Amino acid sequence: MPRRGWGWRVPDAVLGADRFTYAYPGADAPALADVTLSVAPGELCVVCGASGSGKSTLVRAACGLVPHFHGGEAAGDLEVGGLSVRDHGPSDLASVCGTLLQDPETQVVMSGVRAEVALPLEHRGEPAAAVARGVEEVALALGIGHLLDRRAETLSGGELQRVALAAALVTRPRLLLLDEPTSQLDPVAADELVSLLRRLNEDWGTAVVIAEHRLERCLPAADRVIALAGGRVACDAAPDEFLAWVARGGGTAEALLPPLARLFSLAGLTPLPLSVKEARSALASARIEPQAEAAAPPDRSPARRSPLARRRARRPPAALAFHGVWYELRDGPAILRGVELAVAPGERVALMGRNGAGKSTLLRHARGLLEPTRGAVERAGEVALLLQSPGDYLIHDDCLEEVGPAGLASAGLAGRETSDSRDLSGGERQRLALEVVLGGGGSQAAADRPPPAAACLDEPTRGMDPARKRALARRLEQLAAAGTAVVVATHDTAFAADLADRVVLMGEGVVIADGHAAEVLGGGWHFATDVARVLGGAGGALTPEHGARLLERELVA
Amino acid sequence: MTGFVPTYRRRPSPLHAARAGVASAFCAALCLVAVVHASPLVLGAALGGTVAAAAAAGVASELGRAARLVVPLALLLVAVNALTSREGETLLIRGGEVLGWRIDVTLEAVAYGAVAALRVTVLMMALALFTAVVDPDDTLRLFRRVSYRSALTAALATRLVPVLARDAARMGEAARCRRTPPPRAGAARAALRSALDRSVDVAAALELRGYAGSRKPALERRPWSRHDVRVACAAAGIAVAALAALAAGAGAFEAYPELTLSAGAGEVALAAALLTLPVVPFAGAAARLGVARA
Repeated sequence: MPRRGWGWRVPDAVLGADRFTYAYPGADAPALADVTLSVAPGELCVVCGASGSGKSTLVRAACGLVPHFHGGEAAGDLEVGGLSVRDHGPSDLASVCGTLLQDPETQVVMSGVRAEVALPLEHRGEPAAAVARGVEEVALALGIGHLLDRRAETLSGGELQRVALAAALVTRPRLLLLDEPTSQLDPVAADELVSLLRRLNEDWGTAVVIAEHRLERCLPAADRVIALAGGRVACDAAPDEFLAWVARGGGTAEALLPPLARLFSLAGLTPLPLSVKEARSALASARIEPQAEAAAPPDRSPARRSPLARRRARRPPAALAFHGVWYELRDGPAILRGVELAVAPGERVALMGRNGAGKSTLLRHARGLLEPTRGAVERAGEVALLLQSPGDYLIHDDCLEEVGPAGLASAGLAGRETSDSRDLSGGERQRLALEVVLGGGGSQAAADRPPPAAACLDEPTRGMDPARKRALARRLEQLAAAGTAVVVATHDTAFAADLADRVVLMGEGVVIADGHAAEVLGGGWHFATDVARVLGGAGGALTPEHGARLLERELVA
Repeated sequence: MTGFVPTYRRRPSPLHAARAGVASAFCAALCLVAVVHASPLVLGAALGGTVAAAAAAGVASELGRAARLVVPLALLLVAVNALTSREGETLLIRGGEVLGWRIDVTLEAVAYGAVAALRVTVLMMALALFTAVVDPDDTLRLFRRVSYRSALTAALATRLVPVLARDAARMGEAARCRRTPPPRAGAARAALRSALDRSVDVAAALELRGYAGSRKPALERRPWSRHDVRVACAAAGIAVAALAALAAGAGAFEAYPELTLSAGAGEVALAAALLTLPVVPFAGAAARLGVARA
């Protein structure tokens, strides 16, 4: 599709769609409908939208998996580097575009990292010297030189994703397609990956199309944002225009607003910021300096008191308590080192800390999947545990069989009785699996059992869009209101701020901080929400809603 | 089951540093001894050489994992042969009759079973050494010029085994987290479904790396390193010694009708060679140089 501007030739679009429509085999409605867009060389485009809006399908169409691998019906045109995806399959398109999908575990094909990165070049029949050079260059460019001699099974999720990225880039494609590449990563690994993409785009001019839920990470780096709704392009604009479109109420896209933009939007401030730096600068320009005194006093209801106050107060026995719990590997280090922690009935606790801090191990002890090597775990009743892969809990053919009608209603999936659990989005699967561990099982006997004393969830928001996260937080609040202690291990500070009244920080197998969410997340460096970073923890504001109330008071003053 | 299988990890040893073809030949030479010789002295020396090479390469613990499977298997072989063989003249235990089958244990039957067990042990330990010291990706690269797609499919299977094992462990934990235990059939179906989903995802990733348009890889000519040369010489030495001894009639062993074991100078020399040749690549300062990257 060559174009001509004012007498000079405009480079061909590296990705161009003209009324492209696609439906999966047997689907009632198309996943993509009349999509028309164009991505120029060197552009960084973010594709966003709610779960099921067609983001992943667009990426899969651009790399040729749709329709060649998945089947289905396609109409209209979609060209990548001048090759029509209707005539060229993924292998042809691999010479033009590199692709990175969600799950790092299935992105790496070979046993060793060096062999994995070399594979695309070997597929092309490149001579050994060219393969060696390609591997060396891409490894140095992506900072994975130290991983080349490692085995795939020894890598963390973040490392696996970087290796898969190297394999996608080793042929030096003009376009890089990414489908929620950070959804399975912790925030640190996710931030590193986004920085890497930004550098790729800026230093080598690789066009990048990234489908992502967490816009706050990508927006500062983006040239354009393409919002999809119901498989159609709802907005295609620069990031600031996109935020203005969402704030104006662009369809049902309000949930797409990142926390800082939401903070400004609720406070009636414009323009909406793309980053923490922009937000701070805008507040400084407007001479708004929120003070702690201006904020409402922290809620001192029993559930929100400090741990010390809670200890002093009369309280019922703990729903879940760890008494000096140690967990020492037979041939390795101690994962937990004398953890002391008690969670009251109805309390909502966010368990935070870096990877390897011991969060998941502690939750496994809560359920009894692991036994402490020293110390004891005290449970007031049954403990429900939802681990990181909700799909592992879903074993029946349809959703109704999994949890019964009541469980389905609690999961917000009424009307999806006959759906196969594999057809659900990540967020829907998470809620269905939560109902399974809370009692579900589909049988009446299971439904009649009392609610568990505690419900523990391990990283439940990975790959979830903001609307699904809010829905999950409300469901967990319901549980807590019914007296179940809720403990959520998470890296997601915004979710922790929305849900928890107490935050426990773990490091090296011990509790290193334990306090009210506003105390721990408001004054932290890494463990702080974007809103707290902008407002400096003033008034203990962590969420856009709380921060906006604070800003409104400042504006009135 | 995966707990018995040695896993490859790069280590700084000459055997790891040697090219896949040469390291494979080294392990194959040890297997050759077990195939062509039946003398317990020779087989014992071959086993000793294999274990010594593994220890020198830093993979003794990996062989230990394999031994947890091999030793019971070997003992079973001895017991089965002793109880089922009706040959041999030196009666050790006179058993009764079971279902019309006379159970007598003879020294010859025990010895024959022990030698067969030793043979299997040497073979399996040599294979375990191969698994622990030869990079599977490099091995598969060797075969790609012969059959590219088959080799790649084998590579995929190799990669998927630990992934599926981890999936199974995770699903087992999830089953323990349910308030009511899942039905067996449902759990099995879910496990199968998960494995198929995984395979489809990996197939998609492979497509995206250009699998369908793959061409036969170009022939790679790499200069031989000192480790390649030393390991190749050791492999050749083991093979030549084994075949030469066979040609010279050394290492004869007959179990039936009565034990005949040759243990002359030829056998002793072969045993000495089998104990020393496998560790030759590790000897001297030259072996320690240049393996840091390995």
